[in-house]
Amino acid sequence: MSKTDTDSRSDTQTESQPLVDHTVEGETSEEIRDEWTNYDFDGEAKLSVSELNVYYGDDHALKDIDMEIPEQSVTALIGPSGCGKSTYLRCLNRMNDRIKAARIEGNVEFEGKNIYDADANLVELRKRIGMVFQSPNPFPKSIRDNISYGPRKHGDIDTGLLARVLGRDDGEREERLVERSLKQAALWDEVNDRLGDNALGLSGGQQQRLCIARCLATDPEVILMDEPASALDPIATSKIEDLIEELSEEYTVVVVTHNMQQAQRISDQTAVFLTGGELVEYDDTEKIFSDPESQRVEDYITGKFG
Amino acid sequence: MSNASERGVHRDHSPLLPTVSAGVVGLSFLTFVLAWLVLFPILTPSTQLVGGVTFYDVFGLAMLLCGVALVGSGVASRTGYVPATPSATAGVTTGVVLGVLGFVVTGLFVSQTLGIDGPMGLGWFLAAFVGGAAVFVATVAPREDVGSTVPIGAFALLAGLVVLLGVIGDSWTWNPSGLAATFSGDMAVPVVALVVSLLTAWAGAKAYEGFGARGRQLGAYMFVNLNAALMLFVLFVLIAFIVYRGLPGVLRGAAVGLGTGPEVAFGLHLPFDVPFVTNSYGLRNDVNGVLPAVFGTIWLVVGAVVLAVPTGVGAAVFLTEYSREGRFTQVVEIATNGLWSTPSIVYGLFGLAFLVPRFGNSASLLAGQLVLGFMLLPLVVITTRESIKAVPDSYRDASAALGVNQWQTIRSVVLPAALPGTVTGIILGVGRIAGETAPILLVTSSSMSPFPASRFVPRVLSGFQFTAQPPFVTNTELLQASSALPYQLYALITAGVGAGAGSDADIDPWSTALVLLIVVLTFYAVGIASRSYFRRRLQE
Repeated sequence: MSKTDTDSRSDTQTESQPLVDHTVEGETSEEIRDEWTNYDFDGEAKLSVSELNVYYGDDHALKDIDMEIPEQSVTALIGPSGCGKSTYLRCLNRMNDRIKAARIEGNVEFEGKNIYDADANLVELRKRIGMVFQSPNPFPKSIRDNISYGPRKHGDIDTGLLARVLGRDDGEREERLVERSLKQAALWDEVNDRLGDNALGLSGGQQQRLCIARCLATDPEVILMDEPASALDPIATSKIEDLIEELSEEYTVVVVTHNMQQAQRISDQTAVFLTGGELVEYDDTEKIFSDPESQRVEDYITGKFG
Repeated sequence: MSNASERGVHRDHSPLLPTVSAGVVGLSFLTFVLAWLVLFPILTPSTQLVGGVTFYDVFGLAMLLCGVALVGSGVASRTGYVPATPSATAGVTTGVVLGVLGFVVTGLFVSQTLGIDGPMGLGWFLAAFVGGAAVFVATVAPREDVGSTVPIGAFALLAGLVVLLGVIGDSWTWNPSGLAATFSGDMAVPVVALVVSLLTAWAGAKAYEGFGARGRQLGAYMFVNLNAALMLFVLFVLIAFIVYRGLPGVLRGAAVGLGTGPEVAFGLHLPFDVPFVTNSYGLRNDVNGVLPAVFGTIWLVVGAVVLAVPTGVGAAVFLTEYSREGRFTQVVEIATNGLWSTPSIVYGLFGLAFLVPRFGNSASLLAGQLVLGFMLLPLVVITTRESIKAVPDSYRDASAALGVNQWQTIRSVVLPAALPGTVTGIILGVGRIAGETAPILLVTSSSMSPFPASRFVPRVLSGFQFTAQPPFVTNTELLQASSALPYQLYALITAGVGAGAGSDADIDPWSTALVLLIVVLTFYAVGIASRSYFRRRLQE
């Protein structure tokens, strides 16, 4: 599905019965949208967001976001601090539900269904749309337990005493899962001899790759990353960047970044959010950084603003 | 003056001031230790040392030397004879400390030595005020090197002379009017020496680093360390004193060797015998013992912990993880803090009026366990809440992003990380409830001799019986009255300390105290071991 004009989009919406009846008020968003033609890409959209609005109390944090995220690619979200890019990312797996003051309106379609529907299964959703945070946050457990934490809690792997007694021990499957996830996250060679050690003993970069491995262990389709390298040194950062590019062959990666060079290096398409919670421009990364439609985006990218 | 403005990175290598100051600090420290030994009294102050010198002379000479050295260092630094980096003034804190000292000394001198009362008995007060103010000004007005050494040095000199000349000595006594107490020389001299040695050590430490910021740093460092040492010292003295007084009674009739101890099972005997701990009270015993009270205390603590820990942790989880921060949690927080500081006799009274009538109207172990459990509960809630709040939110975020629900997150991430804090709370609380006398007196032991015979040893584990009718499980042992170590100690003390220690068979209160101390310290040890186990699980 590709966005060509506003009309076809509103048609699909009425067909798929939007959860919230949201009426567009004000002309600002229309004006902004006029500045650039909608991003047109080949292939399937993994996530399609339409008319997404987020409010923190009286603060209108995200305004009428419409965006389709193509599968098996890297989508970068850039913009100045406080522009709502992290809020937007956290809407995609409903992590904003955890913030009590947040009110979310609009549609986020994943596989043709709105994840904000009342019957959405949050556990399944977050298994399939994983998340990696700004600062590495492994649990104070062993490396192995960190990886198998998700599958264990979901009941996919059982290595408990009862399972062992009943001969249904999944220990071998667990080892395979740990090895596969760590290999995917390019960490296996560094830690395979100390899987039982506490994860807090790893370096910052290793911890972040462990968090990526932990996310991969639940077998996600989309990986959301919130400035995954901002707390790391340049070498660890470049490892994470290589990893993101590799992951995009199999997964759909959405990454928030402060660093425009990073967005340029790793992403296929870039969305620029600017102050006020507006999505100002969304296009091929090359196009955004060489010839942006919007003057504001050009100012931001060349460093005149933000 | 030039020395004051010198700003070298490296310390000046002139060794005179540091050497003299180090001597002052060392001498002060020796005086300090000696003063404690004389106070306790491990040493007698009037003992004749070599050549007829007494400890009075030693104190006097030490203070005199410190005083001379300090005044000398201050003057030498002020005149530029030795390099130093003093600040412009010794500061208001030093001034206030020395001013108060000046107030006390002048006041005592005027009112006690000169006997001046003045109009309306205020004469000494005016004089003392003037004296204090003078010392304050003398400290604050001059440059730091003079202000922080000369007043202290002068005071040490004065005290040294007074002691050396025998003005305050062996035969000196002081009966303050309006007080029944009499102070003698062998108490006054070490106290004066203590105060003076603290001050001279402080001033000496400042002078060692050449005054200024570095000097104050060393002075403060010395005080902080002294504080810690003093705390350890008090703890050590307390334990040593109880062991010293109680150990002979505990070890009375004790034997080590194969087959000497009481039978455990299958004809096997413990390889040691401590009859004071393993015996109960009986007319035919060679040595009467405290076994029923030991078991009573252990079961009381175990019961209280079993009651308070699950409920307290559950309440803390609800308050911290589930309920919204608001009026309700605020009220609960105030209530838990209030409950924790409620006097234990109030808990005891509640148990007596509310629980005892419901348990067959007689004092019982169960009532005591419940009352102590109620006392422990607020502390468990408070410490668990604090440690749950201290678990980083990033753990909860990470778990939620993996699709794990809230309860599973609490159980497998939040609680393990909060557990060491909870255990700390339990350790603190057990220390309090194990020694609690008032509630036990009211609800557990009131109908009980403090020295019960062996059939009153509470055997809780074997007391469980299963019946076909409700309530299906009964335990007569839990519903029986029981003695406890603090209750026994209280009974012995009200009978007069040491009154029981007449014949060999009697129980010495110090021995009971020692056994109570050992029981509490054992609970501590278990708690600390389990806490370090949980900590290690988080780190390794």
